[in-house]
Amino acid sequence: MNSYGNTMPKSGSSSSYLPVPLLIERVARLTEKERLFKLSANGRAFTFDPGQFFMAGLPGYGEAPFSIASGSGKAAEADGSFELCIKAVGNLTNAIHRLKKGDTLWVRGPFGRGFDVNGSSPLRGMKGRDILFIAGGIGIVPMRGLIKTILGDRESFGALTLVYGFKDPEGILFAGEMEDWKASGMAALLTVDKPAPGLSPLKGWKGHVGVVTTVIPGLEINPSKTVAVIIGPPVMYRFAIKSLWDKNIARDDIYLSLERRMKCGVGKCGHCQIGGIYACQEGPVFKLSELKDMPDAL
Amino acid sequence: MEKFSFLSNKEFRKLVEGLTGSFTVYGTVRKDARLSAAGDGFPAYGRISCFEDLVLGLTPTHLSAKEFLFPQRETLLKFDIEKMTHAAVVEAVDQVIIGLHPCDIHAVGLMDRVFAYGKPDVNYLARRAKTVIIGTDCMPDRFCFCKSVDTMNVDAGFDIFLHRVKGVEPPQGAGPPQNGFLVRTATDRGKTILSKYAKAKKASLKQLDEIAAFEKKREDSFTAHIDAPAGQLPEIYSKSDESPVWERIGAICYGCGSCNNVCPTCYCFDVKDEMKSNLNEGERVRVWDGCTLEDFAKVTGGHNFRRTRSDRLRHRFNRKFNYLTGRFGALFCVGCGRCSRTCLVQINISEVTNELIREYNAKKRQ
Repeated sequence: MNSYGNTMPKSGSSSSYLPVPLLIERVARLTEKERLFKLSANGRAFTFDPGQFFMAGLPGYGEAPFSIASGSGKAAEADGSFELCIKAVGNLTNAIHRLKKGDTLWVRGPFGRGFDVNGSSPLRGMKGRDILFIAGGIGIVPMRGLIKTILGDRESFGALTLVYGFKDPEGILFAGEMEDWKASGMAALLTVDKPAPGLSPLKGWKGHVGVVTTVIPGLEINPSKTVAVIIGPPVMYRFAIKSLWDKNIARDDIYLSLERRMKCGVGKCGHCQIGGIYACQEGPVFKLSELKDMPDAL
Repeated sequence: MEKFSFLSNKEFRKLVEGLTGSFTVYGTVRKDARLSAAGDGFPAYGRISCFEDLVLGLTPTHLSAKEFLFPQRETLLKFDIEKMTHAAVVEAVDQVIIGLHPCDIHAVGLMDRVFAYGKPDVNYLARRAKTVIIGTDCMPDRFCFCKSVDTMNVDAGFDIFLHRVKGVEPPQGAGPPQNGFLVRTATDRGKTILSKYAKAKKASLKQLDEIAAFEKKREDSFTAHIDAPAGQLPEIYSKSDESPVWERIGAICYGCGSCNNVCPTCYCFDVKDEMKSNLNEGERVRVWDGCTLEDFAKVTGGHNFRRTRSDRLRHRFNRKFNYLTGRFGALFCVGCGRCSRTCLVQINISEVTNELIREYNAKKRQ
């Protein structure tokens, strides 16, 4: 065949789609739907910020984006291992739930811009501030990575408060760890939408009832000192932002991690586009002020 | 005017035959003669295995040439579940595409930027590096508006470009006037190919006058146009999120995704796995997707970030005139008119844009 001085891509440029096999070191059942998978780094040097994500998949089932549930910085595991919390909702995630310790999960990443807790990106500005974490449902997974990272450097931050909510008591994630986090100097307010789910009533719920935004008005917040972080289901953001505005927290001090459909992770497939930005590249973590004039951002 | 040389029809035939002998060649053809009103078929791209297959059309093809660089279905990985292996697949053959009009050549340039941006996409770039592009001149139909988006002319992005000319150099002895092309090249590869397969002569002043006259006629033939300078369109679109236009065209849109399919710069894709019948080996493939399709921005749990057809059309139109301009420094509409031409409910991209321009100007006057 002819080849008129054209060149194949330079050696070293490789397929964006080739995953690496990671060994599952541990599977922990958190609820009926959610399992926590601890993945060995297999000698690879993964470094990531909380809020970043991996594309994880299984041959035959495809791939999907999953937030990193582990801390980084001083909270990172010495051996480079990290955790993904996966909810069984479809073909891929149900197949992943059938995996056991010693099985392999195929991953690409980490991708995206996470919370740059210590660094110098435009997202800096968390150090020395009071931090209000607002998590709804599975939004606690990436929030866990952020909380662990911040608790790993506790003295660098002001007052820490977590407001987190679930649909019902059976869906509560990381309840045990929460006690450790509280002991490390973070206040935590838990709420559920409904004290008892339909079929298996869980008796004796004595905690707060209502969506997370019902908890925010009662908080004592110093708006000039506070950074608020929101991660939750899509429907939660507008309400949570409004309740923060009621507390006079500025757009620049509100951080959000946005969920989007993603197919490539490398800024090509178009699914995660919000206005002129790709959530997989410029996000998924944004300041609210960066999302101005984007009609479908929230 | 050294840049032009003359290629007679006879020499052009030798060029095409030379190429079909050494490359996989695609080019413009007429398709489905029985289905077309005039009985001569629709302009389309197809495989060219002999000179007679090639029909250089003056108006745009229904589908663009993007499928030869970014196939509708493309293998990214091959895997074997038992052996626990994944292998990257990068498929590219030496190929030639003949018959791209200036708008399509601009579109390829935009695709080049998209796939080279950030983490380079080796699948696209390998194919692109092995692709020879031969462009040709054209005449607008009632949907073309490249003149309004600065894509009417090209100086780069092709290897060889053909301008049709009538016979001005009578052949030796008696015989009909010889038709042919004035050709220009934009790459060394183009020059090499041209001299390898055909003999080009010096262009005459009369021929140069002829193509100048053709270009003048072409410029005067546009009926579709956009009523604002191209550089102003991102600003106009960015102020049009609340326009009633979206509601109105959303109400008639079928959400069929044809506009995405025919667009030469729509590059969104889905990635999925396909298994062989042994349920052990399989491929991870990417296939074209479209932002006007209902599920495009839907996430697990059912939330759809662009739930209505109005939302999705607003997104698509903004991607052409606003959203991508910051990142890639150019409009992503090349004015080929394909989306308007193919739309089942006659949503017309230049008319919609003009409506937004009118609203924008009216608001400014207030």
